[in-house]
Amino acid sequence: MSNVDTIKNFVISEFLPGTAPAELAVDHDLLNDGVIDSLGVLKLIAWVEDRFELAVGDADLDPENFRSVEAIDHFVTHARAAA
Amino acid sequence: MIRWNTDQTDLREGLERWGEALSADHIELEEQGRFPEDKWKLLRDTGILSLPFEEEYGGLGQSLLTTMYALEGLGEYNRDSGLSFSATTSICSTGIPVQHFGTDDQKQRYLPLIASGEAIGAHAITEAEGGSDAMAMTTRATRDGETFVLSGSKAFVSNGPIADVIVVYARTHPRGGPLGTTAFLVDRDTPGLTTGGCGKKMGLRTSPLCELYLDDVRVPRSAVLGRVGGGLMVLDHVMKREVLFSFVVNAGEMRHRLERCVAYAKTRQSFGRAIGSYQSIANKIVDMKIQLESARKWLYDTGEKLEAGEDVTVDLAIAKLVTSRSNLATSLAAVQIFGGHGYMSEYGLEQDVRNAVGGTVYSGTNEIQYNRIASMLGLGAGR
Repeated sequence: MSNVDTIKNFVISEFLPGTAPAELAVDHDLLNDGVIDSLGVLKLIAWVEDRFELAVGDADLDPENFRSVEAIDHFVTHARAAA
Repeated sequence: MIRWNTDQTDLREGLERWGEALSADHIELEEQGRFPEDKWKLLRDTGILSLPFEEEYGGLGQSLLTTMYALEGLGEYNRDSGLSFSATTSICSTGIPVQHFGTDDQKQRYLPLIASGEAIGAHAITEAEGGSDAMAMTTRATRDGETFVLSGSKAFVSNGPIADVIVVYARTHPRGGPLGTTAFLVDRDTPGLTTGGCGKKMGLRTSPLCELYLDDVRVPRSAVLGRVGGGLMVLDHVMKREVLFSFVVNAGEMRHRLERCVAYAKTRQSFGRAIGSYQSIANKIVDMKIQLESARKWLYDTGEKLEAGEDVTVDLAIAKLVTSRSNLATSLAAVQIFGGHGYMSEYGLEQDVRNAVGGTVYSGTNEIQYNRIASMLGLGAGR
């Protein structure tokens, strides 16, 4: 399973239960559309750190890194490459 | 239920000797709506303000549960609920987040002052239009080189008029959603920071509250508490402790109220019998006992789970709901049990009712708590 699919599955299971994976566009704005709220973002960051074995540092807490499935995938890919 | 050890019970029972002085003239002070500075000094002497903070910063290094247990004692022995509220506000708003998220410099600068009570802390979250919706805040913090410029206004800032340092939550990214908020440590004397609108409250009147105005308040990058964009993480950490610490004080107040009602029901005569011998009164008191123990169980169980690192989102909301509703219900029951006396201000029971209403509103309204539980059940809006 690709990282995009893994991330999408997590987002759907936690924040959009009942949604078919095809219905969630990879560039869908999760933050501005209220899919992920203040509690959800804590859960998302903890999951990203655990699932991809990386630490989300101060500079990485940029909303653009968590705005969409695609953005999270890019962030994870770059963070792993830099590690 | 937790079995408290000797050190913990000694810590709590040690507060009893301060109760009379802390409670003195509380009805008159409440009517005047005046923060009792002399009693704050007494509170400092009790050491209660330093309970949860690390010893190297002047704290007593007590655990979350021990701190809760001692704070329950504060509620039991101190009748000035506004003073207790100001104490938990100072501990939770500033000391708690600085201890957890602060840099070494921030800890060295603020923790000894907050732990000793030499400085009073507050936090500014709520805005006039947003209410409990922290995501809707409009106060902005704009980066300008190595500084941030804060602009906007905040409402209902508990301890605002007396605070020496205020944790201000502001938007640092307009489209950042839950990652668009940052917490800042702002000193009271920072140019551009002013207070106003200190209106009269329904209860807790010895704990002052005001609006806060930020007119291009410039703070250094080093004033950021936690991470830029991580304000709601700071707030989440704070609110968990705020609910446990401030509502366990209410549990102590309920215990005092219960004991007072039991004593009254045993001695007050009606139709030749103690009123406690009538089921209509006895059942009210039994309900008070059930409400007190339910609240305590939810609070301490949630505290244990939080200390164990478990998710307490739902537990915390239930603990807040159960305790605030129990506090209000038992305060109304006490008025009823005391009859005409309970209706008179000099007995302090009508004041308890007004104070208890506050608990259904602050730390996230009870309606927000329902929304939160519903959301965790998959029933939130947009699902």
